[in-house]
Amino acid sequence: MECKAAAHLLEAYLDNELDRDSARELEAHADTCAECAGELGRLGELRHALRDGSLRHAAPAALRERIRASAAARPTSARTLPAWTRFAAACVLAFGAGALSVYLWNFAPSSTASTQLTRDLFASHWRALAATSPVDVTSSDRHTVKPWFAGKVTPAPLVRDFAEQGFALVGGRIDYVGSTRVPVLVYKHGQHLIDVFVLPAMAGAPKAAQEQGYALNTTPLGEQSAAIVSDMDQQELASLTQLLGSSK
Amino acid sequence: MNASTASSFVEELAQRHLDAAYNLGRWLLGNEHEAADAVHDAFVRATRAADSYAGGNARAWWLAIVRNCCLARLASRKREAQQRHLSVVQASVPTEIDTVEADAEAEQRRVSIAAQLRALPAEFREALVLREIEDLSYREIADVLGVPIGTVMSRLARGRALLRRALEPAPEKAHGM
Repeated sequence: MECKAAAHLLEAYLDNELDRDSARELEAHADTCAECAGELGRLGELRHALRDGSLRHAAPAALRERIRASAAARPTSARTLPAWTRFAAACVLAFGAGALSVYLWNFAPSSTASTQLTRDLFASHWRALAATSPVDVTSSDRHTVKPWFAGKVTPAPLVRDFAEQGFALVGGRIDYVGSTRVPVLVYKHGQHLIDVFVLPAMAGAPKAAQEQGYALNTTPLGEQSAAIVSDMDQQELASLTQLLGSSK
Repeated sequence: MNASTASSFVEELAQRHLDAAYNLGRWLLGNEHEAADAVHDAFVRATRAADSYAGGNARAWWLAIVRNCCLARLASRKREAQQRHLSVVQASVPTEIDTVEADAEAEQRRVSIAAQLRALPAEFREALVLREIEDLSYREIADVLGVPIGTVMSRLARGRALLRRALEPAPEKAHGM
Protein backbone atom coordinates (compact mmCIF):
# COMPACT_ATOMS: atom_id res chain seq x y z
CA MET A 1 0.00 0.00 0.00
CA GLU A 2 1.27 3.45 -0.86
CA CYS A 3 1.08 6.51 1.37
CA LYS A 4 -1.43 8.16 -0.90
CA ALA A 5 -3.84 5.24 -0.65
CA ALA A 6 -3.16 4.91 3.08
CA ALA A 7 -3.79 8.59 3.80
CA HIS A 8 -7.18 8.19 2.22
CA LEU A 9 -8.07 5.32 4.53
CA LEU A 10 -6.62 6.50 7.86
CA GLU A 11 -9.82 8.07 9.14
CA ALA A 12 -12.05 5.22 7.99
CA TYR A 13 -9.64 2.91 9.84
CA LEU A 14 -9.88 5.00 12.98
CA ASP A 15 -13.67 5.03 12.68
CA ASN A 16 -13.83 1.24 12.39
CA GLU A 17 -15.32 1.50 8.94
CA LEU A 18 -12.65 -0.41 7.03
CA ASP A 19 -13.09 -4.04 6.17
CA ARG A 20 -10.64 -6.43 7.79
CA ASP A 21 -8.35 -6.93 4.82
CA SER A 22 -7.91 -3.22 4.16
CA ALA A 23 -7.41 -2.59 7.88
CA ARG A 24 -4.65 -5.19 7.97
CA GLU A 25 -3.01 -3.73 4.87
CA LEU A 26 -3.12 -0.30 6.44
CA GLU A 27 -1.61 -1.55 9.71
CA ALA A 28 1.18 -3.23 7.76
CA HIS A 29 1.83 0.04 5.96
CA ALA A 30 1.80 2.10 9.16
CA ASP A 31 4.37 -0.28 10.67
CA THR A 32 6.87 0.74 8.04
CA CYS A 33 5.87 4.34 7.38
CA ALA A 34 6.64 6.85 10.10
CA GLU A 35 4.63 9.56 8.41
CA CYS A 36 1.38 7.59 8.27
CA ALA A 37 1.95 6.20 11.76
CA GLY A 38 2.43 9.75 13.03
CA GLU A 39 -0.70 10.94 11.30
CA LEU A 40 -2.64 8.07 12.81
CA GLY A 41 -1.29 9.04 16.23
CA ARG A 42 -2.33 12.66 15.83
CA LEU A 43 -5.81 11.65 14.67
CA GLY A 44 -6.00 9.39 17.72
CA GLU A 45 -5.08 12.29 20.01
CA LEU A 46 -7.85 14.42 18.56
CA ARG A 47 -10.30 11.58 19.07
CA HIS A 48 -9.13 11.14 22.65
CA ALA A 49 -9.64 14.82 23.30
CA LEU A 50 -13.11 14.83 21.79
CA ARG A 51 -14.16 11.74 23.68
CA ASP A 52 -13.11 12.62 27.20
CA GLY A 53 -16.75 12.97 28.16
CA SER A 54 -16.73 16.62 29.16
CA LEU A 55 -18.09 17.61 25.74
CA ARG A 56 -21.28 15.60 26.09
CA HIS A 57 -24.24 17.46 27.51
CA ALA A 58 -26.57 15.16 29.44
CA ALA A 59 -30.27 15.86 29.15
CA PRO A 60 -31.62 17.70 32.20
CA ALA A 61 -34.05 15.78 34.39
CA ALA A 62 -36.68 18.43 33.70
CA LEU A 63 -36.68 17.56 29.99
CA ARG A 64 -37.04 13.87 30.76
CA GLU A 65 -40.01 14.66 32.97
CA ARG A 66 -41.53 17.01 30.40
CA ILE A 67 -41.51 14.29 27.75
CA ARG A 68 -43.05 11.81 30.14
CA ALA A 69 -45.80 14.31 30.89
CA SER A 70 -46.44 15.01 27.18
CA ALA A 71 -46.63 11.31 26.46
CA ALA A 72 -49.15 10.78 29.25
CA ALA A 73 -51.26 13.73 28.10
CA ARG A 74 -51.40 12.33 24.60
CA PRO A 75 -53.42 9.17 24.89
CA THR A 76 -54.15 7.03 21.84
CA SER A 77 -54.61 9.96 19.49
CA ALA A 78 -57.00 9.08 16.69
CA ARG A 79 -54.76 10.42 13.95
CA THR A 80 -52.02 7.83 14.26
CA LEU A 81 -54.44 4.93 13.92
CA PRO A 82 -55.24 5.18 10.20
CA ALA A 83 -51.59 5.75 9.39
CA TRP A 84 -50.57 2.53 11.05
CA THR A 85 -53.46 0.70 9.47
CA ARG A 86 -52.30 1.91 6.09
CA PHE A 87 -48.81 0.74 6.80
CA ALA A 88 -50.01 -2.67 7.91
CA ALA A 89 -52.22 -2.96 4.84
CA ALA A 90 -49.26 -2.07 2.63
CA CYS A 91 -47.22 -4.81 4.30
CA VAL A 92 -49.93 -7.36 3.68
CA LEU A 93 -50.25 -6.30 0.04
CA ALA A 94 -46.51 -6.30 -0.54
CA PHE A 95 -46.22 -9.73 1.03
CA GLY A 96 -49.08 -11.00 -1.12
CA ALA A 97 -47.58 -9.58 -4.30
CA GLY A 98 -44.21 -11.07 -3.40
CA ALA A 99 -45.70 -14.49 -2.77
CA LEU A 100 -47.57 -14.35 -6.06
CA SER A 101 -44.51 -13.39 -8.07
CA VAL A 102 -42.43 -16.12 -6.42
CA TYR A 103 -45.19 -18.52 -7.36
CA LEU A 104 -45.27 -17.37 -10.98
CA TRP A 105 -41.50 -17.31 -11.09
CA ASN A 106 -41.14 -20.91 -10.04
CA PHE A 107 -43.72 -22.15 -12.47
CA ALA A 108 -42.76 -20.15 -15.52
CA PRO A 109 -42.50 -22.75 -18.30
CA SER A 110 -39.30 -21.63 -20.06
CA SER A 111 -37.06 -21.16 -17.06
CA THR A 112 -33.73 -22.50 -18.24
CA ALA A 113 -30.76 -21.50 -16.13
CA SER A 114 -29.69 -18.77 -18.52
CA THR A 115 -33.06 -17.03 -18.82
CA GLN A 116 -33.45 -17.30 -15.06
CA LEU A 117 -30.14 -15.50 -14.62
CA THR A 118 -31.14 -12.87 -17.16
CA ARG A 119 -34.39 -12.29 -15.34
CA ASP A 120 -32.58 -12.06 -12.02
CA LEU A 121 -30.26 -9.43 -13.44
CA PHE A 122 -33.09 -7.28 -14.79
CA ALA A 123 -35.07 -7.69 -11.59
CA SER A 124 -32.10 -6.66 -9.50
CA HIS A 125 -31.57 -3.56 -11.66
CA TRP A 126 -35.21 -2.54 -11.35
CA ARG A 127 -35.17 -3.12 -7.62
CA ALA A 128 -32.17 -0.82 -7.37
CA LEU A 129 -33.91 1.86 -9.44
CA ALA A 130 -36.90 1.71 -7.11
CA ALA A 131 -34.76 1.88 -3.95
CA THR A 132 -33.90 5.14 -2.19
CA SER A 133 -30.30 4.81 -3.24
CA PRO A 134 -28.94 2.40 -5.85
CA VAL A 135 -25.56 2.32 -4.12
CA ASP A 136 -24.32 1.25 -0.69
CA VAL A 137 -20.97 2.94 -1.05
CA THR A 138 -20.98 6.25 -2.85
CA SER A 139 -17.75 7.24 -4.45
CA SER A 140 -16.28 8.15 -7.76
CA ASP A 141 -12.93 6.99 -6.46
CA ARG A 142 -12.15 3.40 -7.31
CA HIS A 143 -9.71 3.29 -4.40
CA THR A 144 -12.70 3.64 -2.09
CA VAL A 145 -15.04 1.33 -3.94
CA LYS A 146 -12.62 -1.54 -4.36
CA PRO A 147 -11.63 -1.85 -0.66
CA TRP A 148 -15.28 -1.58 0.30
CA PHE A 149 -15.96 -4.67 -1.75
CA ALA A 150 -12.84 -6.48 -0.60
CA GLY A 151 -14.22 -7.46 2.79
CA LYS A 152 -17.66 -8.37 1.52
CA VAL A 153 -17.26 -10.54 -1.56
CA THR A 154 -14.44 -12.61 -2.97
CA PRO A 155 -12.87 -12.02 -5.28
CA ALA A 156 -13.23 -8.22 -5.15
CA PRO A 157 -14.08 -6.98 -8.62
CA LEU A 158 -11.95 -4.91 -10.93
CA VAL A 159 -13.09 -1.30 -10.45
CA ARG A 160 -12.50 1.34 -13.12
CA ASP A 161 -13.89 4.82 -13.58
CA PHE A 162 -14.68 5.93 -17.13
CA ALA A 163 -15.74 9.48 -16.34
CA GLU A 164 -13.60 10.82 -19.16
CA GLN A 165 -15.42 8.61 -21.63
CA GLY A 166 -18.78 9.74 -20.25
CA PHE A 167 -19.44 6.85 -17.87
CA ALA A 168 -18.85 8.13 -14.36
CA LEU A 169 -18.47 5.66 -11.51
CA VAL A 170 -20.96 6.62 -8.78
CA GLY A 171 -20.44 3.74 -6.36
CA GLY A 172 -21.17 0.12 -5.69
CA ARG A 173 -23.43 -2.23 -3.83
CA ILE A 174 -23.81 -5.90 -3.03
CA ASP A 175 -26.89 -7.47 -4.57
CA TYR A 176 -28.43 -10.86 -4.91
CA VAL A 177 -28.65 -12.60 -8.24
CA GLY A 178 -30.67 -15.70 -7.53
CA SER A 179 -29.26 -16.74 -4.18
CA THR A 180 -25.71 -15.52 -4.84
CA ARG A 181 -24.24 -12.28 -3.50
CA VAL A 182 -22.50 -10.40 -6.27
CA PRO A 183 -20.73 -7.05 -6.41
CA VAL A 184 -22.43 -4.41 -8.54
CA LEU A 185 -20.61 -1.37 -9.88
CA VAL A 186 -22.89 1.56 -10.54
CA TYR A 187 -22.16 4.08 -13.30
CA LYS A 188 -24.01 7.07 -14.64
CA HIS A 189 -24.23 8.18 -18.23
CA GLY A 190 -26.28 11.35 -18.58
CA GLN A 191 -29.55 10.47 -16.90
CA HIS A 192 -29.03 6.73 -17.33
CA LEU A 193 -28.15 4.64 -14.33
CA ILE A 194 -26.07 1.62 -15.25
CA ASP A 195 -25.57 -1.51 -13.17
CA VAL A 196 -22.53 -3.65 -13.87
CA PHE A 197 -22.94 -7.05 -12.20
CA VAL A 198 -19.62 -8.80 -11.73
CA LEU A 199 -20.20 -12.53 -12.17
CA PRO A 200 -17.97 -15.58 -12.21
CA ALA A 201 -16.69 -16.17 -15.75
CA MET A 202 -18.71 -19.37 -15.97
CA ALA A 203 -22.00 -17.82 -14.86
CA GLY A 204 -23.48 -18.36 -18.30
CA ALA A 205 -25.20 -15.03 -18.80
CA PRO A 206 -26.29 -14.52 -22.41
CA LYS A 207 -24.19 -12.25 -24.63
CA ALA A 208 -27.09 -9.84 -24.98
CA ALA A 209 -30.75 -9.62 -23.96
CA GLN A 210 -33.57 -7.12 -23.80
CA GLU A 211 -36.60 -6.71 -21.63
CA GLN A 212 -39.15 -3.91 -21.42
CA GLY A 213 -36.84 -1.31 -22.91
CA TYR A 214 -33.86 -2.34 -20.78
CA ALA A 215 -30.86 -4.00 -22.33
CA LEU A 216 -28.19 -6.37 -21.09
CA ASN A 217 -24.72 -6.99 -22.51
CA THR A 218 -22.06 -9.33 -21.21
CA THR A 219 -18.31 -8.92 -21.50
CA PRO A 220 -15.26 -10.51 -19.84
CA LEU A 221 -13.89 -8.35 -17.00
CA GLY A 222 -10.45 -9.48 -15.91
CA GLU A 223 -10.88 -13.03 -14.62
CA GLN A 224 -14.60 -12.54 -14.24
CA SER A 225 -17.43 -11.48 -16.46
CA ALA A 226 -19.52 -8.33 -16.35
CA ALA A 227 -23.23 -8.11 -17.13
CA ILE A 228 -24.20 -4.53 -17.95
CA VAL A 229 -27.85 -3.61 -17.46
CA SER A 230 -29.39 -0.23 -18.23
CA ASP A 231 -31.84 1.67 -20.38
CA MET A 232 -29.17 3.21 -22.59
CA ASP A 233 -29.45 2.77 -26.35
CA GLN A 234 -27.48 0.03 -28.12
CA GLN A 235 -24.67 2.30 -29.22
CA GLU A 236 -24.00 3.69 -25.73
CA LEU A 237 -24.24 0.22 -24.29
CA ALA A 238 -21.78 -1.07 -26.85
CA SER A 239 -19.21 1.58 -26.00
CA LEU A 240 -19.35 0.85 -22.25
CA THR A 241 -19.19 -2.87 -23.01
CA GLN A 242 -16.04 -2.23 -25.00
CA LEU A 243 -14.47 -0.03 -22.29
CA LEU A 244 -15.10 -2.65 -19.61
CA GLY A 245 -13.99 -5.49 -21.87
CA SER A 246 -10.66 -3.81 -22.55
CA SER A 247 -9.97 -2.68 -18.94
CA LYS A 248 -7.14 -4.43 -17.16
CA MET B 1 -48.73 -1.79 16.03
CA ASN B 2 -51.74 0.30 17.09
CA ALA B 3 -51.72 3.95 18.10
CA SER B 4 -50.92 3.45 21.77
CA THR B 5 -48.06 1.04 21.09
CA ALA B 6 -46.80 3.47 18.45
CA SER B 7 -46.69 6.34 20.91
CA SER B 8 -45.18 4.27 23.69
CA PHE B 9 -42.58 3.07 21.18
CA VAL B 10 -41.69 6.70 20.47
CA GLU B 11 -41.61 7.59 24.15
CA GLU B 12 -39.36 4.67 24.95
CA LEU B 13 -37.11 5.58 22.02
CA ALA B 14 -36.96 9.24 23.01
CA GLN B 15 -36.16 8.46 26.65
CA ARG B 16 -33.47 5.95 25.74
CA HIS B 17 -31.70 8.38 23.41
CA LEU B 18 -32.54 11.57 25.27
CA ASP B 19 -28.94 12.41 26.14
CA ALA B 20 -27.91 11.94 22.50
CA ALA B 21 -30.81 14.12 21.34
CA TYR B 22 -30.14 16.85 23.88
CA ASN B 23 -26.42 16.80 23.23
CA LEU B 24 -27.01 17.19 19.48
CA GLY B 25 -29.39 20.05 20.24
CA ARG B 26 -26.84 21.74 22.49
CA TRP B 27 -24.11 21.57 19.86
CA LEU B 28 -26.40 22.74 17.08
CA LEU B 29 -28.19 25.49 18.99
CA GLY B 30 -25.59 26.30 21.62
CA ASN B 31 -28.20 27.05 24.28
CA GLU B 32 -29.73 24.79 26.90
CA HIS B 33 -33.29 26.13 26.82
CA GLU B 34 -33.55 26.02 23.07
CA ALA B 35 -31.99 22.56 22.98
CA ALA B 36 -34.58 21.26 25.47
CA ASP B 37 -37.41 22.92 23.54
CA ALA B 38 -36.17 21.49 20.25
CA VAL B 39 -35.99 17.98 21.71
CA HIS B 40 -39.51 18.37 23.06
CA ASP B 41 -40.72 19.58 19.62
CA ALA B 42 -39.02 16.54 18.14
CA PHE B 43 -40.80 14.22 20.53
CA VAL B 44 -44.21 15.69 19.59
CA ARG B 45 -43.36 15.47 15.92
CA ALA B 46 -42.06 11.91 16.23
CA THR B 47 -45.23 10.78 18.00
CA ARG B 48 -47.32 12.17 15.16
CA ALA B 49 -45.04 10.73 12.50
CA ALA B 50 -44.56 7.29 14.04
CA ASP B 51 -45.72 5.75 10.77
CA SER B 52 -42.84 7.30 8.85
CA TYR B 53 -40.59 4.97 10.80
CA ALA B 54 -40.50 1.95 8.52
CA GLY B 55 -38.04 -0.20 10.39
CA GLY B 56 -34.29 0.23 10.30
CA ASN B 57 -32.22 2.22 12.73
CA ALA B 58 -34.59 3.81 15.22
CA ARG B 59 -31.92 5.96 16.86
CA ALA B 60 -30.98 7.48 13.48
CA TRP B 61 -34.67 8.11 12.74
CA TRP B 62 -35.17 9.86 16.09
CA LEU B 63 -31.99 11.94 15.83
CA ALA B 64 -32.93 12.98 12.29
CA ILE B 65 -36.18 14.42 13.67
CA VAL B 66 -34.32 16.15 16.50
CA ARG B 67 -31.92 17.65 13.99
CA ASN B 68 -34.77 18.91 11.81
CA CYS B 69 -36.33 20.63 14.80
CA CYS B 70 -32.98 22.22 15.63
CA LEU B 71 -32.53 23.39 12.03
CA ALA B 72 -36.01 24.90 12.08
CA ARG B 73 -35.00 26.91 15.13
CA LEU B 74 -31.72 27.89 13.54
CA ALA B 75 -33.51 29.08 10.42
CA SER B 76 -35.68 31.36 12.51
CA ARG B 77 -32.59 33.14 13.79
CA LYS B 78 -30.80 33.27 10.48
CA ARG B 79 -29.06 36.52 11.14
CA GLU B 80 -27.21 35.14 14.13
CA ALA B 81 -26.42 32.00 12.21
CA GLN B 82 -24.75 34.10 9.55
CA GLN B 83 -22.63 35.79 12.14
CA ARG B 84 -21.59 32.42 13.47
CA HIS B 85 -20.59 31.38 9.99
CA LEU B 86 -18.42 34.46 9.59
CA SER B 87 -16.84 33.92 12.95
CA VAL B 88 -15.35 30.67 11.67
CA VAL B 89 -12.96 32.54 9.43
CA GLN B 90 -11.73 34.57 12.36
CA ALA B 91 -12.06 31.71 14.86
CA SER B 92 -10.78 32.73 18.22
CA VAL B 93 -7.10 32.12 18.78
CA PRO B 94 -6.54 28.99 20.86
CA THR B 95 -5.72 29.62 24.46
CA GLU B 96 -1.98 29.65 25.17
CA ILE B 97 -0.87 26.38 26.69
CA ASP B 98 2.18 27.30 28.71
CA THR B 99 0.97 26.36 32.16
CA VAL B 100 3.46 24.26 34.04
CA GLU B 101 0.92 22.19 35.90
CA ALA B 102 -0.32 19.26 33.88
CA ASP B 103 -3.84 19.45 35.31
CA ALA B 104 -4.26 23.04 34.37
CA GLU B 105 -2.89 22.29 30.94
CA ALA B 106 -5.39 19.49 30.39
CA GLU B 107 -8.18 21.73 31.58
CA GLN B 108 -7.06 24.50 29.25
CA ARG B 109 -7.06 22.07 26.37
CA ARG B 110 -10.56 20.86 27.16
CA VAL B 111 -11.87 24.40 27.20
CA SER B 112 -10.04 25.17 24.00
CA ILE B 113 -11.41 22.08 22.20
CA ALA B 114 -14.97 22.91 23.21
CA ALA B 115 -14.49 26.47 21.97
CA GLN B 116 -13.03 25.38 18.66
CA LEU B 117 -15.70 22.75 18.11
CA ARG B 118 -18.32 25.43 18.73
CA ALA B 119 -16.60 27.65 16.20
CA LEU B 120 -16.77 25.07 13.41
CA PRO B 121 -19.40 25.54 10.67
CA ALA B 122 -22.54 23.59 11.58
CA GLU B 123 -22.18 20.96 8.85
CA PHE B 124 -18.78 19.84 10.15
CA ARG B 125 -19.72 20.31 13.80
CA GLU B 126 -22.79 18.09 13.62
CA ALA B 127 -20.93 15.34 11.76
CA LEU B 128 -18.16 15.37 14.38
CA VAL B 129 -20.59 15.44 17.31
CA LEU B 130 -22.49 12.44 15.94
CA ARG B 131 -19.31 10.51 15.19
CA GLU B 132 -17.07 11.34 18.13
CA ILE B 133 -19.44 12.13 20.96
CA GLU B 134 -22.42 9.96 20.07
CA ASP B 135 -20.35 7.22 18.40
CA LEU B 136 -22.64 6.77 15.38
CA SER B 137 -21.45 4.81 12.35
CA TYR B 138 -21.07 6.44 8.92
CA ARG B 139 -24.31 4.78 7.82
CA GLU B 140 -26.21 6.16 10.83
CA ILE B 141 -24.79 9.64 10.37
CA ALA B 142 -25.77 9.50 6.69
CA ASP B 143 -29.32 8.59 7.75
CA VAL B 144 -29.51 11.40 10.31
CA LEU B 145 -28.14 14.04 7.95
CA GLY B 146 -29.89 12.68 4.86
CA VAL B 147 -26.70 12.72 2.79
CA PRO B 148 -24.64 9.95 1.10
CA ILE B 149 -21.93 8.19 3.10
CA GLY B 150 -19.27 9.79 0.90
CA THR B 151 -20.45 13.21 2.04
CA VAL B 152 -20.29 12.09 5.68
CA MET B 153 -16.69 10.99 5.16
CA SER B 154 -15.64 14.22 3.53
CA ARG B 155 -17.36 16.35 6.19
CA LEU B 156 -15.65 14.40 8.97
CA ALA B 157 -12.29 14.73 7.24
CA ARG B 158 -12.77 18.46 6.71
CA GLY B 159 -14.05 18.96 10.25
CA ARG B 160 -11.12 17.12 11.77
CA ALA B 161 -8.64 19.01 9.64
CA LEU B 162 -10.15 22.37 10.64
CA LEU B 163 -10.25 21.41 14.27
CA ARG B 164 -6.66 20.19 14.29
CA ARG B 165 -5.43 23.30 12.59
CA ALA B 166 -7.27 25.47 15.07
CA LEU B 167 -5.77 23.55 17.99
CA GLU B 168 -2.20 23.54 16.72
CA PRO B 169 0.29 25.76 18.51
CA ALA B 170 0.77 29.06 16.70
CA PRO B 171 4.16 28.61 14.92
CA GLU B 172 3.12 25.46 13.07
CA LYS B 173 -0.16 27.04 12.21
CA ALA B 174 1.59 29.49 9.93
CA HIS B 175 2.71 26.62 7.72
CA GLY B 176 -0.77 25.18 7.52
CA MET B 177 -2.17 23.81 4.27
